Amino acid sequence: MNWKKIRTVLLTALFLSLIPVTRYYQIDQPILRSLEGRRPLNPVELHLAGEFVESNLGTEIDSNGSVTLRMLAQQYLFIPHCVLIPAGVPVHLRITSADAVHSFAIEGTGYNVKVLPGTVSQTQLQFPDAGVYKTACREFCGAGHYAMRSVVKVVPREQFPALRPEERGNCAAE
Amino acid sequence: MRRSREPKRIRNIGWLRLKAPAALTAALLVASAATSLLYEVNAAGPDRIPSYVAFTPETIAAAASGNTFRGMLLARRCEHCHGAEGFSPLGSTPNLAAMNNLALWKQLEDFRDRKRKSGAMVPIAESLSGRDQADLVAYYSSLPVFSDPQDNRIFPQPQIASAHLETASRLITFGDGTRGIPPCQACHGPVAYKTGVPSLATQNADYLLNQLDAFARGSRANDINEPMRTIAALLSEDERRALAEYYGAGLGLQPAGSSPGATP
Repeated sequence: MNWKKIRTVLLTALFLSLIPVTRYYQIDQPILRSLEGRRPLNPVELHLAGEFVESNLGTEIDSNGSVTLRMLAQQYLFIPHCVLIPAGVPVHLRITSADAVHSFAIEGTGYNVKVLPGTVSQTQLQFPDAGVYKTACREFCGAGHYAMRSVVKVVPREQFPALRPEERGNCAAE
Repeated sequence: MRRSREPKRIRNIGWLRLKAPAALTAALLVASAATSLLYEVNAAGPDRIPSYVAFTPETIAAAASGNTFRGMLLARRCEHCHGAEGFSPLGSTPNLAAMNNLALWKQLEDFRDRKRKSGAMVPIAESLSGRDQADLVAYYSSLPVFSDPQDNRIFPQPQIASAHLETASRLITFGDGTRGIPPCQACHGPVAYKTGVPSLATQNADYLLNQLDAFARGSRANDINEPMRTIAALLSEDERRALAEYYGAGLGLQPAGSSPGATP
């Protein structure tokens, strides 16, 4: 075992250890999760309890005014299928998958979030102007992948309604 | 001395009698105030849960644990509505032959939990033990798709308009990317099946149309993660009818793109 070999091993180990670091802020921190004693999300039990039960999906405004958008990706739909968010305000997106690996991409913008089963992917969205944006899955997820599309409706902040839980993120009927 | 003590003691007890209910009332008031505060914080209310079934390895094992022969004996109860060989004599009742066992299991569980409403099926599902349920599921999922032609089944139903044929064939093969409707055959077969999703290849048209309308209205809401409520609401009334007729005519047995218009 000479120094060159040791150096190679050490550099490889360093490089590999950087991968989780780069992912650390994008996915819901698994280290924090385990430290806080929270169980990892089970993709097949999302509808039973926890953050991603169906009455919890959609846009939520806290009492302090911060906006959170919770979504769920599954073969071959994004739920809710049409979401309303306010313009000009940072929107905290939290999204998870119920089955395969998906990717939530908003067309015409740079947003493209990889969605993994068992973890929560999170990012900050901000749209300066109102408009209708189409979204698509950009990670091949199965036979219906190419039809996995949904809609994000951005409305002016003052028009953004104070939504009751049952009407959150359901603009398909409009 | 004794005489003067006794009334004092009694007075003390009387004071205690007054104090204890007062303390209890105060505690109850504090507790109710705290509860109402909690409810105010939790203004979203209780979680809406579509179904208590989750396709965990335990559920999948339980749904596959039945005895087909015992299921056949139990299924004599079901044949008035679901047919002797899993093909229903009534258009409004589903055909169960060759149905995915997880789909059957989930519906029986949902009937029992009253997550899916049915005047007929709720009491029946409640009367089944876990073993009966597994046996029935094993029996119906093992039945062949085409049963005895002398059976009084109403499947397949011949009529489908040519405009409907085209609409349904397109939706089943490709879905509609612009509206975000995935192709039916990617989950309901025969191209691919998602876990716990029923096969539609030999389903009655009336039943399918009723279910699609119920999903679109939201009166049936037991689909996990709301895929069918979303898709049925995106489909127009005409498209729902076209899809129901297509499957009711037995055309779903082959992949829709392969030979449009072919009869089984």
